[in-house]
Amino acid sequence: MHIPDGFLDPVTAGLCYIVAIAFIAYSIYRVRAGVSPEVASTASILAAGIFAAQMLNWPLPGGTSLHMVGGALSGILLGPWLGGLVIFIVLLIQCLVFGDGGVTALGANVLNMAIVDVLVGYLIYRALTGVGGRSRRWIGSFLGGWLGIALAGVVCGLEIGYSPSFPYGVAVTVPVMGLWHLALGVIEGLITALIVDYISIRAPSLISMGGAER
Amino acid sequence: MSSLLSRYRRALIAIVILLVVSPLFGVVGAELVGYHEPLDVAAEALGLEESSIWSGLLPDYSIPGLPEDWLSASMGYIISGVVGVLIILAIGFILTRLSGK
Repeated sequence: MHIPDGFLDPVTAGLCYIVAIAFIAYSIYRVRAGVSPEVASTASILAAGIFAAQMLNWPLPGGTSLHMVGGALSGILLGPWLGGLVIFIVLLIQCLVFGDGGVTALGANVLNMAIVDVLVGYLIYRALTGVGGRSRRWIGSFLGGWLGIALAGVVCGLEIGYSPSFPYGVAVTVPVMGLWHLALGVIEGLITALIVDYISIRAPSLISMGGAER
Repeated sequence: MSSLLSRYRRALIAIVILLVVSPLFGVVGAELVGYHEPLDVAAEALGLEESSIWSGLLPDYSIPGLPEDWLSASMGYIISGVVGVLIILAIGFILTRLSGK
């Protein structure tokens, strides 16, 4: 889902940058004071883990492939602000060091993966899981991971499909991106649920971090 | 740092395993099927062309100058992964230090 340089209309790219910068600035403001060293090291490890997981491209029958994004997972474990910053760091390094995702498209990539995926995953998880129960946590994290990716795909389709000179592109790109990610996102949902379930058993204190609104 | 290593031993082992097997998916598998994600499908439909402005220090997780056979490409992929993980951990370590003050 990493948009390269050249896919975006300059106006779209600029607007995405403004949204991304505003969100990142607000996230830094929100987490600035309230992060314990323990939470900060957990966030670092999670960022490294998500970066490594994104290197595994799963080739799928039908000539397409996908890799984990991890935004919903990050939001569920760390809350929307720190969770978004974790994905932002991953995207920044991918863009600057590995040329994965264009420099001009960084704002859009941050919007899709560090904002939409993180927020949708977090909100669905919070709404469905509530105070707990292992099965509710499973359902919440599965749907959060799945629909987070699907909506990120829709927003990505809006971005690449829209340009003032060719405004009807979205009629093509939104269904393509939305439907593919709705299908492929099931796998992201399963992985998200497995990891959240595993962590809730091995290290329950980590799960409650996202529980406190931060 | 050493306390970080012992506390997150399992997570770090998992990351190392991901990096070691990553070429199976990122290099070998991608060549078998042809790396092609939904974004490429959508871009093709509109005739969008990639025009790279900055391709990175290690473009597409490869080491510039290495031969292009799959073994070298796989080694390059793993080394790229290790570099990426270390950079991210270093940033995290610095931010953790700053937040502790």
